[in-house]
Amino acid sequence: MANISLKHILINAQQESYKMRHFYLGAEHLFVGLLTVQGGIASSLLQEHGLTPEYVIDSIRRKIGKGSHHRLWAGIPNTPRADVMLDIAREIALESGRNEIDERDLLTAILEEGENIPVRVLMALGIEDIPAFVKQIYEKEHVTTDTETPFVEVELSPQLEQDEDITKEQLFIIRRMFFSYPKIRIERRLMGGYSEAVLFVITPLHGDGRQDASVVVKLDSTASILDETRRYESFVKRTLPPMTARLEDRPVAPDNMTIAGIKYTLIAGSDRIPQDLRAVLTDWQPAELGSWLRNELFPSFGRIWWRQSRPYRFQAWQEYDWLLPPVLTLEYNGVKKLPEEGFTLKFPVKRQKLNAIEYGDVVAVNNFTVYKVYPERGAIQLAVGSGSDAAHAYKIEVRNLNFEQDTYYRGEVIDQIIGTVWQTRNQQLMHAVRALEPDFNHEADKIPFSTRVGIEKLPNPLKVYEELLDSYVNGSLSTIHGDLHLGNIMIGPNNSAFLIDFAHSRDGHTIFDWCSLEISLLRDVIMPVAGSTWDDAREVLEHIVPLNRGEIPDNEEASIAFALSSVAQVRKIVEECLYREGQWSEYYVALALCCLRAMTWENMPIGARRLMFMVASLIIYELQTSYTLTDDDDTASPDATDISTNF
Amino acid sequence: MDFKVNLMIMSGVKDGALLEMQTENGDGQIKNDRWSISIGRKDENDVCLRNDTFVSRQHANLHWKDRRWWLEDCDSTNGTFIENETNYFDDQPVKGIIPLEIGQLFRVGRTWMRIQAIG
Repeated sequence: MANISLKHILINAQQESYKMRHFYLGAEHLFVGLLTVQGGIASSLLQEHGLTPEYVIDSIRRKIGKGSHHRLWAGIPNTPRADVMLDIAREIALESGRNEIDERDLLTAILEEGENIPVRVLMALGIEDIPAFVKQIYEKEHVTTDTETPFVEVELSPQLEQDEDITKEQLFIIRRMFFSYPKIRIERRLMGGYSEAVLFVITPLHGDGRQDASVVVKLDSTASILDETRRYESFVKRTLPPMTARLEDRPVAPDNMTIAGIKYTLIAGSDRIPQDLRAVLTDWQPAELGSWLRNELFPSFGRIWWRQSRPYRFQAWQEYDWLLPPVLTLEYNGVKKLPEEGFTLKFPVKRQKLNAIEYGDVVAVNNFTVYKVYPERGAIQLAVGSGSDAAHAYKIEVRNLNFEQDTYYRGEVIDQIIGTVWQTRNQQLMHAVRALEPDFNHEADKIPFSTRVGIEKLPNPLKVYEELLDSYVNGSLSTIHGDLHLGNIMIGPNNSAFLIDFAHSRDGHTIFDWCSLEISLLRDVIMPVAGSTWDDAREVLEHIVPLNRGEIPDNEEASIAFALSSVAQVRKIVEECLYREGQWSEYYVALALCCLRAMTWENMPIGARRLMFMVASLIIYELQTSYTLTDDDDTASPDATDISTNF
Repeated sequence: MDFKVNLMIMSGVKDGALLEMQTENGDGQIKNDRWSISIGRKDENDVCLRNDTFVSRQHANLHWKDRRWWLEDCDSTNGTFIENETNYFDDQPVKGIIPLEIGQLFRVGRTWMRIQAIG
């Protein structure tokens, strides 16, 4: 294949510049141009260094951000730096006796210039030896392996053959991930969380039949996988206990596909196939499970994660608003100008204003950040704040977008987008409860409970959750997993604890992980014992009442109380994590909001969702009767960025 | 006393442009042993970033004081940032006045810049 000409690269570079609304030609566009030409050398070199072109392009875009709608100059001028680089490239071409710059010359020039954004991004992504990289450019032959499937024989374990459909796309990615092995065996599928991710346990095999240690492979949308890789790099990598699951390889994200994959390598022990906690539920007693969580999981990650405990005082919405359904779902219809009677939303968002907005109103959203992109359904989710990990509260979903015409990427700040309200959060929550076929009036302020424990009525969470969101929490901040449930806690050798799935890892409210885990236990351990009717849910609640008072459930096998002994152990962990001894309101505010969120998960069994609604009611009841919300007692809020000196 | 400094634009449409600042040409202001260079979108600024709509009219200041450089954010709308050592993709906002090293990158609106070492 002939060398790719400059003209070809410039076309791609200009397209990138337009897409990003930059309207100039800089080093970043030239580099993206090099990465997007079919069969280009830049992208295959990067892949040899374990970086996918998408990952690099996404990183460059994130670093630079999209330009504004206003064009301040005509045409697409070159930046001074781009001119310098093109000069260098021209010299390289002339030295080799050519009149025209080709892709190798340009790539060399960009890397040798050394100070431009693409080079800075590459270095941040781990390519530190740029001169060595440059050397490889002229050694590299053109290859077109990208669309070829490496031949790796795939054996399915008997269990999988029966009931699992592995799609062609998934198989393709799996083969790419294990391209250096002649054969792999897909052992089992792990019960995932509530995202669309698929997890497999895979054992790689050598030609002579030797087995390597099994690994866990996660397949998900390219954007989610790339995001998880970044989170792993920022929050997880340096803070893991010595023996646990790691992301050793870079993600595999082929150009022409919407899904990508990553591998969690379980460093310790290759003697048996890794199992997640859900898989052992039938073998372990609830109390045994609980004490394992407390005595294995908590200590092994606690020192570097949950016990960091820096004081953190916040309003509940800052940490929990994003869990709930979008505050608004808007339909985009190409309107550029807000009509007079329309609403404008910008930070800080006033709840009063938000509550005045109804179905059919036209709303302009200003300076929100793109938090999630769903190209397959033409939707994006916006949130306030900027940066990848800023408070992503006040989620707003915008539908009906045309992705052929406009590009959106995570982290981008949108100056303004206008849409018509299709659904509000309150409506969506009401629908979620209605779908559970309540045997009570779900629009009333109070819902019936139980005379047996002396609490006849509980507050309706739908009526008071906003108050919760506004309340202040005196808590602590730590590195957290962000999506802790029985499906991503793995059992290693000697029953040691492993965690996988770092898609939501971040610095956040310490106690959030335990709320998630309690919910997971309620769903997987308690609900199956209790049953799925509203009466069953109320019966579980009757047993949670003493638990909230710190009473350990009795030991009658196969009873609800017996199952709840696992939750009791989680509460013991929480007790150690509370910022102030005995101040359970910190946990309750978080738990109530997390339950309300779980109630909306459509892939959760209906019985579990009913239980979630009831637990939210009970927890809010506890808050209302035993604690004053929004107490103004101050904790210092950490502020890592404030490094002002006495100037 | 004459002061002199070179700034280089490190991103955007003027990426690679070198701006020479010196008191002889009336750049900056000297007040109480401090030489201050203003950065913003308005023409009156010493460093005028008129091509970046994310830059406020008066966005940030560079100060030379006590034999070193300082960076100040003037309550700008979109903020002034420095690179974050632990996460390259999550820039760290500047609050108040912070010390700035020669060669260290900082961002005003969407424009990255740095102070050049003068040979």
